[in-house]
Amino acid sequence: MLEKVKEIARTVLAEKQADGVLGLMKGQWDIIQPHIFESPVEVDALVIEPKWLLAKMAMTVLRSSREGYRLAVVVRGCDERALTELVKRNQIEKERLVTIGIACTAEQAQACICDRPYPQKLDCGDAVAGVDPFSIESVKELLAGDGPARMEKWANILKRCIKCYGCRNSCPICVCVPCKLEDQVWVETGVIPAEVLSYHLIRAFHLSDTCVACGACQEACPVNIPLMALQLSMREMLRETYGYDAGLDPERNSPILYDLCKEPAAGQALPDWVNSLRKDDES
Amino acid sequence: MKILIFACKWCGLIGADGAGKKRIQLPPEFRVIAVECAALVEPDAVIRAFASGMTGVAVLGCHLGGCRFNDANHAAIKRLELLKTLLDATGIGGKRLLISFGTAHEGYQYAEVVKTFFEELKTMPSTVAWTASL
Amino acid sequence: MNPDFIKTICPYCGVGCGLVLKVEDGKVVGTYPDKEHPVSRGTLCIKGWSAHQFVHHADRLKTPLVKRGDTFEKISWDDAIALAVEKLQSTAARYGGDAIGGLSSAKCTNEENYLFQKMIRMAFKTNNVDHCARLCHAPTAVGMGQTTGSGAMTNSISDLAGAECILIIGSNAAESHPIIMGEIYKAADRGAAVVVVDPRKTAVAENAQVHLRINPGTDIPLLCGMMRHIIDEGLHNEKFIHDRMEGFDELKTFLRSWPVERAAKECGIAEEEIRRVAEMYARAKDAAAVYCMGITQHACGTANVHAVCDLAMLCGQIGKTFSGVYPLRGQNNVQGACDMGALPNVYPGYQSVSVPAVKEKFEKAWGRELSAKPGLTVTEMIGSAGKDIRALYIMAENPALSDPDVNHVLESLTKLDFLIVQDIFLTETAKFADLVLPAVCFAEKTGTYTNTERRFQLLRKAVEPPGEAKGDFEIICLLANALGLDFPYKHPGEVMEEIAKLVPEYGGIRFDRLEKAGLQWPCPDLKHEGTRFLHDVQFTRGKGLFIVPAYTPPFETPDGEYPYWLSTGRMFAHYHTGTMTRRSAFLSREMEGAYAEMHPEDAIKAGIREGDRIRITSRRGSIVTAARITKRVARGSVFAPFHFTEARANILTNPVLDPISKIPEFKACAARIEKEPHEKHER
Repeated sequence: MLEKVKEIARTVLAEKQADGVLGLMKGQWDIIQPHIFESPVEVDALVIEPKWLLAKMAMTVLRSSREGYRLAVVVRGCDERALTELVKRNQIEKERLVTIGIACTAEQAQACICDRPYPQKLDCGDAVAGVDPFSIESVKELLAGDGPARMEKWANILKRCIKCYGCRNSCPICVCVPCKLEDQVWVETGVIPAEVLSYHLIRAFHLSDTCVACGACQEACPVNIPLMALQLSMREMLRETYGYDAGLDPERNSPILYDLCKEPAAGQALPDWVNSLRKDDES
Repeated sequence: MKILIFACKWCGLIGADGAGKKRIQLPPEFRVIAVECAALVEPDAVIRAFASGMTGVAVLGCHLGGCRFNDANHAAIKRLELLKTLLDATGIGGKRLLISFGTAHEGYQYAEVVKTFFEELKTMPSTVAWTASL
Repeated sequence: MNPDFIKTICPYCGVGCGLVLKVEDGKVVGTYPDKEHPVSRGTLCIKGWSAHQFVHHADRLKTPLVKRGDTFEKISWDDAIALAVEKLQSTAARYGGDAIGGLSSAKCTNEENYLFQKMIRMAFKTNNVDHCARLCHAPTAVGMGQTTGSGAMTNSISDLAGAECILIIGSNAAESHPIIMGEIYKAADRGAAVVVVDPRKTAVAENAQVHLRINPGTDIPLLCGMMRHIIDEGLHNEKFIHDRMEGFDELKTFLRSWPVERAAKECGIAEEEIRRVAEMYARAKDAAAVYCMGITQHACGTANVHAVCDLAMLCGQIGKTFSGVYPLRGQNNVQGACDMGALPNVYPGYQSVSVPAVKEKFEKAWGRELSAKPGLTVTEMIGSAGKDIRALYIMAENPALSDPDVNHVLESLTKLDFLIVQDIFLTETAKFADLVLPAVCFAEKTGTYTNTERRFQLLRKAVEPPGEAKGDFEIICLLANALGLDFPYKHPGEVMEEIAKLVPEYGGIRFDRLEKAGLQWPCPDLKHEGTRFLHDVQFTRGKGLFIVPAYTPPFETPDGEYPYWLSTGRMFAHYHTGTMTRRSAFLSREMEGAYAEMHPEDAIKAGIREGDRIRITSRRGSIVTAARITKRVARGSVFAPFHFTEARANILTNPVLDPISKIPEFKACAARIEKEPHEKHER
């Protein structure tokens, strides 16, 4: 599969589909790091392991590069979804972006608890089936139990937070400047643990309809907070109520930006009176 | 117990005023913040209220279709419902967040909403785990 | 121009996390975590994420500066070196070599530290070279050296995750060594018992199973009480003690005087707690003891370290995986600076200067006559400034903020005939200098750092230094050559080879072997893969030694005039003297100004509210800072971080020294708090 990726990368560069390819490079002494390949010869050093999200890097590279510079990115499923979201949010110009989609292995999907371990535009490798996050023991345990038990569980977990901002920094879609999490109106500064409720819930909620379940936040957390589980139930709600999955459809914006007439809610997620009123409204 | 009420100026706040004029007895543990529209209540503000030790938060707005700002409260309800999901997932309980649109524009209605919410919160477990600060 | 990504090592604490710097147009513009790093594994703390922010700060020193009157003037490098040489040589000629002192730096690389101490020792035939380990882990180097033979962390950081019981004494790892805290949480998730001993309810204590809130400075009573209970219950590891230890009888006899009842009374906690914790530690299959400044920064610091080691050895928890004693080193390269002999009593590799054979070996290797007399320590050098010490060469240290009783330090610095400060910013100390040499920061140099788990790691140059600034390596070579020594080094790798020849433990360390993941010493030859844990078959000194810990309570205790306990320390967003972190926008946003923590009940009594300006006074001076009211500190205690130059907590601290390791008592002194009237807006 690696050879195929290299081949595509070379073609992309040779045919000037893009001016550079952002991927991982195995350099001298086997050090692996992100790199922008600009000539087909360089591409020999390209590797695709380990999983290293490049979407945010792609965004910053495109921002600081000259006008018209086109960048190809070697993407996994999560990376592609993140890039789609960034395009939707006007952080990246679509015309300047090319993706080389690679499928993850079953092991990787298992490790990430990923329900979609392949990109929409798959160029290399075979898509493996995703893992249903709600079938995983550790996730089930986090979301199990009655209110108070769960509250205590989460309070104890989040209390470990050392406020490194790693979850925010590593998130491919957390791009706001200024960021509310830095503002002491919302989160008290200079104290750890970070105010558990405001820091984590504000962060989680800001990503409610953009989270592409890449797991970068969780991987960057020095104290192993299962941040993905915070996101899961909201993703599930959006899927059930609006049939919306972040990062899949480049043409469709988040349903919570629109009114109920344009993006009606289905299922039990909204109270009954909302639906009845909507009917009145339409009549 | 502390309750924070975000009341839309065109609906909930009129109800609150009415309840005051009618001298309806209400539980004393709530504070009202007047907002121009329920859609101005960011979910972040609700989270901040819980983080500051609120037991419950209510957002009172106009009924759907009756918003002064076209469909602004449609978006509000979507956001707040989504927030409820998060509150449920973390065990705080979505029930601590009351979203009520078009149900509190009269004094007695307002009093009823607040009283019912208050009674319901009383049956819920304490939030000490969250707010136990250093 | 496309960005380059350069892997390097974090410049802040001793954990030594891996960074990937993003370089654009010759500027470092971003930091990412290194996914492949053996310690940090793709995670960083807030300081690591912001490590690039101070690199191109406008305050960076760009040319050598000389003091004329009250102001600094730019001079050329040639003049600067000539001036330094002239002053140092004339001082040495007039007062003797022992009138020269050198403060090396735990922020600089191993190679630079090696060259620095080599230069001072060769050029002036003195051993007056020391660095800030004196202020943090000198008791570890001495104490663990005496008990086990090696003053370094016995195991690796990753071992913590597998321990069954982790005893954390006097360490707020969540703020000071966050990545290590992650490993501790991993162990906790697997069901390990985490016990925290700390007078403050720190973030670590908050997340621990048991928190023993002992009185300040009563670590030895606690540990003695625990050991006594362990022996009484027969939980000690008799086989280990018989096979591998000596001095048990003395310890056992001594412990007769420390029944649990007495210990509990001293510590101010319940007897049951001590018994419970002792049993948790002793019954665990693998138990780890983690400690930090709360143990060492006392006037009985060395004895504290002895007590921790005694406990670990009593239970046989040394010399195997997932156990051991973990002193968490403060600075990124404080382990390395000690290893490289930037200490007044030892050459590189802890080879004593007073052993004639060792001295001879180094004389032969370096080709100069050396002094057999151990030199002065940091605190002693500052103390005797203007008397025994006439000229001081400070490389990247900031005693004007970090040393105890700062007012006295400042006074001493003015008494020097000549002061050279080599740093990246005009620090509080540099302002007193006669000559300031502009050096380079971590992103601008190549070399090696040794982290707290003894791992040599390679630092890679990412960008060019600002202005005329030169690497410390280059400056030392220039100066040494001008002083008439032969320092022909072109690249730090050559220095590493020289070190490898002189120190058997580092025999296998070469730059090209460090590229991937570094190497943990001891690594005696080129085939050796590094050592995960020490003392496996036998202790470095042969048999382990139980040392009876000599307990002395803190020198100053609260009284009518000064009713509060004051302790100092770090907070998570800033690092030591704040030279770098307070110039990082993200970090100074997180915590902009100075503060001191006090208990709500004390605050009510004194009429102080959150954010009020308060004056803290000790017998040595006073500072004005903002009050933070929190139950984190115990009643009758205040805590002040020492990062802030506008309210230097070290003005207050007591310069009384531990008799063995000469560490000052930063963690306990008596203070008084008053509310400062509102008025004037001085900032």
